Amino acid sequence: MLTVQNLTKIFNKGTINEKKALDHFSLELAPGDFVTVIGSNGAGKSSMMNAVAGVFLPDCGEILIDGQNITKWPSHKRAALISRVFQDPLSGTAASMTIEENLVMALRRGESRRLRWALNVNKRDYFRNELAKLGLGLEGRLTTKVKLLSGGQRQALTLLMATLQEPKLLLLDEHTAALDPKTAEKVLELTCKVAESSKLTTLMITHNLEQALSVGNRTIMMHEGRIVLDIRGIERNNMTIGRLLEMFEKASGVHMNNDRMMLAGTR
Amino acid sequence: MFSLKLVVGTLEIGLMYAIMVLGVYLTFRILDYADLTVEGSFTLGAATAATLIFQGYNPWLATSIAFLVGFIAGIFTGIFHTKFKITALLSGILTMTALYSINLRVMGKANVSLLKARTIFSDFEKLPGMEKYGVLVLCSLTIVILGLLVYLFLNTEIGLALRATGDNELMIRSLGVNTDIMKILGLALSNGLVAFSGSFVAQNQQFADASMGIGMIVAGLASVIIGEVLVGTSSIARAIVAVICGGVIYRIIIAIVLQLGLEATDLKLLTAVIVLIALVTPGLKSKFTAFNGGILGKGDQYANSSKSN
Repeated sequence: MLTVQNLTKIFNKGTINEKKALDHFSLELAPGDFVTVIGSNGAGKSSMMNAVAGVFLPDCGEILIDGQNITKWPSHKRAALISRVFQDPLSGTAASMTIEENLVMALRRGESRRLRWALNVNKRDYFRNELAKLGLGLEGRLTTKVKLLSGGQRQALTLLMATLQEPKLLLLDEHTAALDPKTAEKVLELTCKVAESSKLTTLMITHNLEQALSVGNRTIMMHEGRIVLDIRGIERNNMTIGRLLEMFEKASGVHMNNDRMMLAGTR
Repeated sequence: MFSLKLVVGTLEIGLMYAIMVLGVYLTFRILDYADLTVEGSFTLGAATAATLIFQGYNPWLATSIAFLVGFIAGIFTGIFHTKFKITALLSGILTMTALYSINLRVMGKANVSLLKARTIFSDFEKLPGMEKYGVLVLCSLTIVILGLLVYLFLNTEIGLALRATGDNELMIRSLGVNTDIMKILGLALSNGLVAFSGSFVAQNQQFADASMGIGMIVAGLASVIIGEVLVGTSSIARAIVAVICGGVIYRIIIAIVLQLGLEATDLKLLTAVIVLIALVTPGLKSKFTAFNGGILGKGDQYANSSKSN
């Protein structure tokens, strides 16, 4: 499905701030894989996702989706294959536009937009249906401007927008991190439901180790721009948070001192 | 003090300038882009239409071509900004400056007179019943049609993408829209409207002048803000009505001030003051609201604060 080969990206090359974000990173995803990605801050998780989404071009390496080489595609072109949910709930929706307007834009993700009336009765019915599935009462608020929604509602809407037009690959960049625990749980539950029902190939970055093991079917750990741990199946089922931390330390040769990760692990 | 002739004249001018304001609204509010090209493209529209009419071309054709050249001017600003990564302000200034020379080239001199020439207004006044208020009727018709077209456009798939480009560029890019193209399109349409407005003004005052666009952007911004404050922006339709009204009201204010004895040369100072007051007032208003606590609903506060940039 997704094949990433030898992806390397060095930021601020040749300066004192030189930072190797990705170091010959390779990854192969099977269709329907739901992979959680963990790693300390600066491990290259977001860089990897940005590279796949086309935010920047890699220094070397290749990205393929279904055998199609998309390494040089601009991000708006990749949108036909990839959809994304960001950490910041504000960044996935247009605040000054209504819920239905946001949804109808998402409905045409990756397709050319034409000079024809965007909304109609059928689409509104469809949106009401889809919104009802979120269970947030948004189905009666189609013409509400998105800026009046809460962060959790906006993130749920963003998730719906990301999957309305089924993508080949769904990228989730700590999409529950900015929400309160209860809303985060709800959004994660929706995520699993959507990914499960459409068999979406998904990459999800998380800082919550418990979540990393309980969600999806595979977990990778990144360090200094590389994968240092890749577990699935029985190995993953038998994994505990404590052993995960241990393995991380062994694999990376670095003592785990990331407070956020430790906290997430003990929660 | 206010004769009927003056009132009608002011309304006519106001409606013509409202076309320009509609253009400024597209960039300033929809794209969130302060576009100074307007200063040059307004004159470009006037100069193009006047020169073509002076050379004997059909005035309706000349007016259409004015829209087209403004459209092209906007494309240039858009390319400077998106492809060459020049800041929004500087891109507009570059095109505006270049247009000053181009406008003089188009006219061949500093101004072109259209006295006794056939214009869209002289044509329209020949229609039955249009002898007296032909200009007013034509301007009203034009602004209603243009306002409607802009409204329809902003609700198409492309229109939504354009609005989202100004609202959340990251998001609409991730939905597969080339935001560079959207910005270029928005700037082109905006400057097309501005040039169209310029051609109306030139034909109405029967001359085009190389300096007639000076101060146009501030006048446009003033009109947009006045309209938004007085009419509101709760929906796209309302915002469009608001900016059109703003354009007319701005001209009414100017007319009143002139009647009160101010010199025409003081107008730019006055306009700057109006914009300043209009820009500061929403901030004052929200402070006042916050002070008063629960008198206004929460939604109102939100709407005020989000628009008070």
